[in-house]
Amino acid sequence: MTLAAASHGFLSPTGVEIAFLLVGLVTFGAAVVTVTTRQLVHAALWLVVALGGLAVEYLLLTAEFIAWVQVLIYVGAVVVLILFGLMLTRAPIGRSPDADSGNRWAALTVAVASAAALVWVVVDAFRTTWIDLDGPAAGSTAVTGASLFQNWVLPFEALSVLLLAALVGAIVLSRKAKAARAGEAPPAKTSPTGASSSGTSPSGASSSGTSQTGGVR
Amino acid sequence: MAPVPGSGLAKGLAVTLRTMTKKTVTEQYPDAQPELPPRTRGVIGLFEENCTVCMLCARECPDWCIYIDSHKETVPAATPGGRDRSRNVLDRFAIDFALCMYCGICIEVCPFDALFWSPEFEYAETDIRDLTHERDKLREWMWTVPAPPALDPGAEEPKELAAARKAADKLAAQQQADQSGQEDRPGQADQSGQPNRPGQEDRP
Amino acid sequence: MNDALDVTLRLLIVFVVFLAFPLIVGQTEHKVMAHMQGRLGPMYAGGFHGWAQLVADGVKFAQKEDVVPADADRRIFQLAPAVALLPYLLVLLAIPVGPGEGAVGQVVDAGVFFVLAVMGVGVLGSLMAGWSSANKFSLLGGLRTAAQLLAYELPMLLTAASVAMAAGTVSLVGILDAFEWWWLPWQIVGAVVFFVAGLAELQRPPFDMPVADSEIIFGAYTEYTGLRFALFLLAEYAGIVVLCGLTTVLFLGGWHGPWGADGLGWVWTLLKAAVLAFVVIWLRVTYPRLREDQLQKLSWTLLVPLSLAQIALTGVVKVVIA
Repeated sequence: MTLAAASHGFLSPTGVEIAFLLVGLVTFGAAVVTVTTRQLVHAALWLVVALGGLAVEYLLLTAEFIAWVQVLIYVGAVVVLILFGLMLTRAPIGRSPDADSGNRWAALTVAVASAAALVWVVVDAFRTTWIDLDGPAAGSTAVTGASLFQNWVLPFEALSVLLLAALVGAIVLSRKAKAARAGEAPPAKTSPTGASSSGTSPSGASSSGTSQTGGVR
Repeated sequence: MAPVPGSGLAKGLAVTLRTMTKKTVTEQYPDAQPELPPRTRGVIGLFEENCTVCMLCARECPDWCIYIDSHKETVPAATPGGRDRSRNVLDRFAIDFALCMYCGICIEVCPFDALFWSPEFEYAETDIRDLTHERDKLREWMWTVPAPPALDPGAEEPKELAAARKAADKLAAQQQADQSGQEDRPGQADQSGQPNRPGQEDRP
Repeated sequence: MNDALDVTLRLLIVFVVFLAFPLIVGQTEHKVMAHMQGRLGPMYAGGFHGWAQLVADGVKFAQKEDVVPADADRRIFQLAPAVALLPYLLVLLAIPVGPGEGAVGQVVDAGVFFVLAVMGVGVLGSLMAGWSSANKFSLLGGLRTAAQLLAYELPMLLTAASVAMAAGTVSLVGILDAFEWWWLPWQIVGAVVFFVAGLAELQRPPFDMPVADSEIIFGAYTEYTGLRFALFLLAEYAGIVVLCGLTTVLFLGGWHGPWGADGLGWVWTLLKAAVLAFVVIWLRVTYPRLREDQLQKLSWTLLVPLSLAQIALTGVVKVVIA
């Protein structure tokens, strides 16, 4: 990274920056469609586009590791989980007339406010910082691993504990439901734990996957 | 003893692998003709000379798939003053193989051995109406009927042969008796030649 | 200009491999499966032992009418085959065939993650197909696909992470550079788990509940005809090629061979991948389909613990060596 902000104009039109902007527009558009479309499954699929666009943005910023993890966790697992849930409950083809929210204006306000806050914080923090795209990748796996386990190890571990707690909580909840049902009815052989553990698997996969590979470095 | 866990899985793999190394059982049919067993029921052949137009086959057929047309012909008396004999002449004998269910009852029921199973099976047609085969076609199939297979080594003697042998033995014994008694009563020997006819005709 | 030529050439080679290898695997499956069942398989197309059967099949598929059901979600229905197929093309780009940078389509720094992430995207195609067909069998197939992906992505990732730990890098090229022969016994459990999980993710028998023909006709692909159906089939066989290539690279040492790899590295890679592809076919012929609950149980109670144990073993050995 260089601090030579003066040598860069604001959005000097290099190829990467143009691509960054275009992909950003696509991502933004996909995100807007995600929350406005009346077709439930289409919303989930537009979410794929938005998350994929985000991954491309990471790639353009040389954060390769984050980009692929983004695809792996969000597109590969979270969206699949959402689609799974949708298909399991209700996924009509065509518009759902009730796929609307009464407090859309409140939601819009909150969204704009949080976006503004994030943009303001990021702009304020990195105003004069430029990523040198030609030099060694600033977001490669090695760099990410090193910084994660040297500078950010405490938040990382705290997050791991949080996810672990969620995992344990899910198991406890499903166990209780099973015990309660077993009390009133003859015990069934099929265990509901499979569903619950599959529900928590993406988070489990994300934490252990990243921690293991990062731990090597 | 409890089996080793996974041994069943390995056994399954071994079976398929072993099968792969063995010769396949596939027969390349149009290129290589199949080896059909004797008495294969392919199609029904007609030996017209044996047919007396008794219509038993047509009447017994469950599907009514046999068509027979005939007319009577008068044969002049062989001796002067005798009565003219009438004879059935076959005009049409057709089997509709679109209806035939290959039960073989017609063959079983034929008293004069005019119908036979032929192993021929390649008679597909593109039109269902072409499956009604007339007697010239049935006659062609007659020549594809194989000779009946030899009997098993320990099998019972066929009834025809048994009857013929019995008659022949009887005749021989009688001739023996005649020869020994010839000095006493000459002139009676010729009458014993009658009963040694086998009664059933051999297959063509 | 030279760079452009290089890139074009690489893309072309990968594309040809992408088109040719699945067909080779498919033809091998035709013949191996037939002989394992005491049959001959295709014998006529092309003249010599039916070598052109799949070409003939392709021509047949191209001639068929492309039907979209009236109630289907048209655009998603038509897009699904591409979503299912393209990820495997991308993955092929990153699999190194021989030593050096000349033998890989594109060196990806986080290769393992790239490969697994993009392979996971391919399953989205099946989900889209299952949902958009407006057919209950398709929907059931899509559901099963999703459940299967969720169950088997985890052990696959964990075992791949084990190899990454052993090599100290997540780059596929780097993993191969660090490979030693004794990794084979060291990572054997991980290799088996990875391969089995990969089979499940590809929905290959005995893990083909999402397309179980005797239960739900053809799962998510029930309503597809013609070329789009052929694309789904091609995706399955491309998936086999990718899975075998990946297992070879991650666990079997890729271009490393017992007699050195000078100039013949790619032969070793192809040989190992071919043997694995044979195993894929062999398993399909041998085993009956698992039931849906058995499938989930296999993953959560056997494969996940095994892969965790493999990671622990890898960590311990790594620390001891260091």
